[in-house]
Amino acid sequence: MVKVHLLVASMIIVASLLPIQSSFSSPRDLDLIIYPDGSTHVSAEIDVDPFLTDYEVNLFGSTIDNLVVIGDNGFLLDVDILYDTALIQTFGSSEITIEYDIHDLVSKQGRLWTFSLDSPSDFTLLLPKNSAIVGMTNLPLNMEIINEQNQLTLSSGSTEIDYFFSANSISNPIEEIKNEEDNSLNTIIAGIVGGIIAIALVSIIIIVRKRQKNVEVIDKTIDEIVTIQKNDTLDLETIFKLKPDLREDDKELVKFIFDNNGESLESELRKNFLQPRTTMWRAVKRLEREGIIEIEKKDLQNLVKLRKNMEEDN
Amino acid sequence: MKKLALFAIIVLIFGTISPSLANQAYGQNDPNILLRIAIQADKQIVNQLDKKYENEIPNNINILYEKGHRAVESLDKSLSYNDIEKAKQDFLSAMNSFMQISRIISQSSEKVIVVNVSQKSNQNLESKLDRLEKYVKTLESISQKHKIKQNDDNFTTVYSLIQDIRNQIKIDEDSSKNLNELQDLIKSIKNEIRNSIAEKQSNAIKIFFKKFLVQIDQKLMQAKDLGRDQIEIDNANELILEIRELLSKNQINDAKKVYSELKVVLKNIGISVKIT
Repeated sequence: MVKVHLLVASMIIVASLLPIQSSFSSPRDLDLIIYPDGSTHVSAEIDVDPFLTDYEVNLFGSTIDNLVVIGDNGFLLDVDILYDTALIQTFGSSEITIEYDIHDLVSKQGRLWTFSLDSPSDFTLLLPKNSAIVGMTNLPLNMEIINEQNQLTLSSGSTEIDYFFSANSISNPIEEIKNEEDNSLNTIIAGIVGGIIAIALVSIIIIVRKRQKNVEVIDKTIDEIVTIQKNDTLDLETIFKLKPDLREDDKELVKFIFDNNGESLESELRKNFLQPRTTMWRAVKRLEREGIIEIEKKDLQNLVKLRKNMEEDN
Repeated sequence: MKKLALFAIIVLIFGTISPSLANQAYGQNDPNILLRIAIQADKQIVNQLDKKYENEIPNNINILYEKGHRAVESLDKSLSYNDIEKAKQDFLSAMNSFMQISRIISQSSEKVIVVNVSQKSNQNLESKLDRLEKYVKTLESISQKHKIKQNDDNFTTVYSLIQDIRNQIKIDEDSSKNLNELQDLIKSIKNEIRNSIAEKQSNAIKIFFKKFLVQIDQKLMQAKDLGRDQIEIDNANELILEIRELLSKNQINDAKKVYSELKVVLKNIGISVKIT
C-alpha cells in the first residue's frame, strides 16, 4: 500500500510539472494573416509569469506597425521596442495578447510570393484571397476556408510557403475532395477516447455503489440543491440570475447563442466575436463548467448549445 | 481505498501522456488536406507553365514537373491505402518539386510582370486600410471592455472614413487627406483609452508594486545577513523608498523608471527580481 501511495505522489508531481515546463515563453496561440501586399498581421497570446515586472518577446522582424499589447483586465501595456525585441511591462499580468503588423515575413520575386517563418509554436496562417500555394516545406496540420481564403494550421519550426496570385479562385479544388475514410490514427484516438470513457464509467459505477450505501446522508444534501428544469431553453434573465458572477464577455457569448435559437457552432462564435481559437475555446469551456452550455460534435465541429436545465450558484 | 488509488493512477497516466497524444492526433487529423493542397499546386504550376512556355517547356522543368506530378499521384494512392507516413513523404516531395519550378519561373519572368503602378499602389493602400481596420477593431474591443463612451463617436467616424477611403480607392481618387485624418483619429482613440483606464491600471500596478517591494525588502535583509555589498544594499533601500514615495503621489511612470534603476542594483547584489 505504501508503494501505491508513493507511485500516486510521484505521478502527481510529474503531472503537475509538465504544464509548467511549457506554460511560459512560447505563444499559446499564434495567428497570422497575410495581406495582399505581403504585410502580415501577427496575433499572439502568451502566458507570462505574473511574478515578474516585465517580459521580453522576440518579434518576427523589425519593421513593426500598429503594435498593441493587452494584459489582464484589458489593460494596454507599455512596450519598449529595440530592433526585433519588445520589452513589455507586464506588472503582474499572467496572460498577454500581442498584436502587430510586420513587413518582414513575405518576400516577392517576379510574381512569386514567399512567406518564411521560424515559429516557436504551432500557428494558423490566413493567406490572401485568390492566392494559390505552389510550394511549401512543411506539413500542414489543417486547412480550412475562411471568407474564401485558405487558412493553414502549421507546426512550429521553419516554414516556407510559395504562392502566386491567380485570377481563378483556387478554393474549388479544396472543396471537391471529401473525406473518404478515417485513417488508422483516428481509430487509435477513438480507442483512447473510448478507453477514457470506459474508465470514467467504471469509476462512476464504483462511486455510485459506494454512495448507495450512504443514501441517508446524501438525501439530506439533495434538498439543498436548487435545480430548475424546463422543457425549453432557459431565458437570458434566468441564466444571468442563476449565474450572477458571469464575466461580461461570457454574457455576450450567452446572449449570442440565445439569439441564435440556443445553439451556435464554435467557429461562428469565433467569427462573430473576432476571437482567436484558444480564447474562444477557453470561454466555451468556462461556460460548460458553469453548466450553462453543452458541447456536441457536428460535422467535426463543436456545436455549442444552451442547456435546458441549470443549477443555481450557491 | 485500493480502487481509488488505482483509479487515480490510471487518470494520472492518461493526464501525463494525453497532451502528446492530442498533439499527434491533431497533426494528422485530416490527411486529405495534403492531397487538396498538392492538387491545387499541381494545377497552378500547369497554369503557370502554359502561360510562360506554352508547348516549349525546358527539359529541366519538365523533369521536375513529372516528378512532382508523380508524387501527387502517389500521394493519392498512399491515402487510399491509409499509409500516412508515405503520404507525408509524397506531399513534401511534390511540393518541393513545385516550389523549385515556381522559383525557376519567377527568376526568369521579369518581362512577364506587368504590374500597373496605380493598381499596385492601390493594392498596398487597400492592405494598409485592412490592417488599420483590424487595429481599430482591437482598440474598439478594449474600449468596449472598459465602457469608454467618449470613443463611441470616434469609432463611428473612423469606420465612415475607412469606407470613404475605400470608395476613393475604387475610383482612383487621392485619399491621402482622409488617410491622415484617419490616422490622427486612431491616435486620439488610443490616447483616450490610455487616459480612461489610467486610474484602474495605476491601482493594479500599485498593488503589484506593494507586494513586490515587500519581497525585495526581505531579500535585501537576507543579502545583508549573507554579507553582500552594503553600499549597494543601501542604494537599493533608497530606491525602494523613492518608488514608494512616487507611488503614494500617483507618479506611476516615474516609479517605473526608478524601478529600472533598482533592477540594476539588485542584479549587482545578486538578487533575482522575481518574487514568489
